[in-house]
Amino acid sequence: MLPEESSSIHLSQAGDWVRRAEDPARKEPAASIRAVSKKFKGTVVLEDIDFDVAEGESLVLLGASGSGKTTILRVIAGLEEPDTGRVILHGKDVTELPARERGVGVIFQSYALFPRMTVEKNIGYGLRIRHHKRKEIKETVNSLIELVGLQEHRHKYPSQLSGGQQQRVAIARTLAYKPQVLLFDEPFGALDAQTRVRLRREIHALLKKVNVPAIFITHDQEEALELGDRIAVLNAGRLEQIGTPDEVYNRPETEYVATFLGAANLLLGVINQESVEIGTASIPAREEAERFRDGQAIKLVFRPEDAHLSRTGVLPEGARRLTNGVIEEISFVGAYERLTVRLDLVARQPTEGEPPLYNVAINTAEKRAGIPIIVTRPKPEAAATRLNVNDRVAVGLTSFRVLPNFTLASERSGRVIETKKL
Amino acid sequence: MSATLSPLRHVRGFDVVKPLSIATMIAIMLPLVLLPLISIFVFGTNKGLGSFLDALTQPEAIFALKLSLATSFWATVFNVIFGLFAAYVLARYDFWGRNALIVTISLPTAIPTAVAGFALLLLWGPQGTLGRLLEPHGVRLMFTGYAIIMANIFVTFPLAFGVIKPVFDTMSRSLEEASATIGATRWQTFWHVTLPSLRGAIVTGALLTFARAIGEFGSTILVSGNLALKTQTAPLYIFSKFNEGQIEAANAIAIVLALLSFGIFSLLFLARDWLDTE
Repeated sequence: MLPEESSSIHLSQAGDWVRRAEDPARKEPAASIRAVSKKFKGTVVLEDIDFDVAEGESLVLLGASGSGKTTILRVIAGLEEPDTGRVILHGKDVTELPARERGVGVIFQSYALFPRMTVEKNIGYGLRIRHHKRKEIKETVNSLIELVGLQEHRHKYPSQLSGGQQQRVAIARTLAYKPQVLLFDEPFGALDAQTRVRLRREIHALLKKVNVPAIFITHDQEEALELGDRIAVLNAGRLEQIGTPDEVYNRPETEYVATFLGAANLLLGVINQESVEIGTASIPAREEAERFRDGQAIKLVFRPEDAHLSRTGVLPEGARRLTNGVIEEISFVGAYERLTVRLDLVARQPTEGEPPLYNVAINTAEKRAGIPIIVTRPKPEAAATRLNVNDRVAVGLTSFRVLPNFTLASERSGRVIETKKL
Repeated sequence: MSATLSPLRHVRGFDVVKPLSIATMIAIMLPLVLLPLISIFVFGTNKGLGSFLDALTQPEAIFALKLSLATSFWATVFNVIFGLFAAYVLARYDFWGRNALIVTISLPTAIPTAVAGFALLLLWGPQGTLGRLLEPHGVRLMFTGYAIIMANIFVTFPLAFGVIKPVFDTMSRSLEEASATIGATRWQTFWHVTLPSLRGAIVTGALLTFARAIGEFGSTILVSGNLALKTQTAPLYIFSKFNEGQIEAANAIAIVLALLSFGIFSLLFLARDWLDTE
């Protein structure tokens, strides 16, 4: 592969194949995945996956390896058959159709360019096998080569191109036959960090221009946040949450989503009327507590940047005080300062017969020492109010999520009723 | 041994072992391989180029060469197509008995060629199990050109397959999947994507098969009947002329066969380079 050159996609030169914005009255989703499940040798790979992709939308399937995201992509492309469920493209059920009749564009992780064909031949392949007229093929190929900015490379073979250039050829190759939906399988996995950032901006811009719905697969949360109009987080074959980047990042619905997308602190507690009780500490949470019963076991989740520290005890406006803590460690991570704060929280000694509310680690070695959390502060704030190791600080949260603690909920609920009876 | 060698090793900074080893190697190869090859050429030309050309232009000699080329050609065509097909099936599908089939295809490598010829005779000969059924219909396979092609196919059966199959195994599936998602039929995918990636292997397999077939003797002499101007291939011609004491006639054909082999051998090396360049 050649080093990346800095030329980018020329968006001004979109040809006539560019899909014009669809009639807004037509609300039919471009692609629908309905209750798709798949087992492989007895292991569940996909479980009841259900989502839609709107016309012109970019959806990112985010998950760790083994989460089933690649299988979903292959099911949509027709390279893999689901055990149950339907795949619907523009209102047409294509579940039974072979890959070649679906009109789906797949950009493989390795790009899968045909090694014995030049850039031109690769891009024109979809039209050649459809027996289009030579002149028509030439025109389409020309406009696509222009669109992806590979004019000087048209007669080169894939092995003579850089990774980014190969990717552009792969995209142009699928755009040639006006795909119903574009599927990107880990599109930036094989590229270095800088190229990756540049290319995903290019692709994002290109997709907005051609208005073709796209599904991306990635395990990189940063990539997901930047590329996706919506993000679907997958875990062990299940869809954990689907929503806009803002929703998924700021209002995660499961612990997995909270911890997979960015860093998150997690504290175990119970709902106590309009507040959340974490051991000996308590934080007002009228809105957040609404969804829960009194006494229900919950998890309090917050991002490191949503925690605020103050030596004077005066917290910024909007921050709710949680408890106090001692700074244990400070490190600089580029754009921000990262602090480890050991909260004063001590697991409340469970009363006779009460199950432990806090996880094992807290109940044993850290029982007396308190619970550590991670807090980050942007540079200006870190410079304005210096903090040192061993400083005692008040800890407040501007934003947090309360999630049900399912593992304890069942155990706990029975006891709660008992207590109330008493 | 090492005790005697080690003082020699660096006599005045000169590594004795290296030239000694190379010389030994050549000394072993000389009487066994190199000198016999050279002697064909020396012997063939020592009575002048005229007598060499005379011997070569005998109708029997020309016929034998042509027959060899033709039978080897058809055996090559058959085995390359079959090898490609078998490699595709065995690389792409998993089924019960797959490994047994792979072993069976490779089996002819291990079978002595005389045994191969004899086996063909037993089955297809006039008294053979199947040949007996064909005989009343006037169909006779043995002692004809077809028999030679069959024998060639048998002995060169695994060669093309053996070269093509590994390339299939290592070929990325995503190329074919990409082609399918773009809209190609299986045949279009095979023709435009799979086959071009195999061209080096196909050429190598074909050359190996042809080179092996053109020199085939053991099975051919049994199934062909060795009839001059009818079923006598070039190697059989050499054998027959030598038996009749016509050393020059035998030698002329030997030179041609040797040159042909050198030619194929050089092509093989070129094909290997071609295979490696994308």
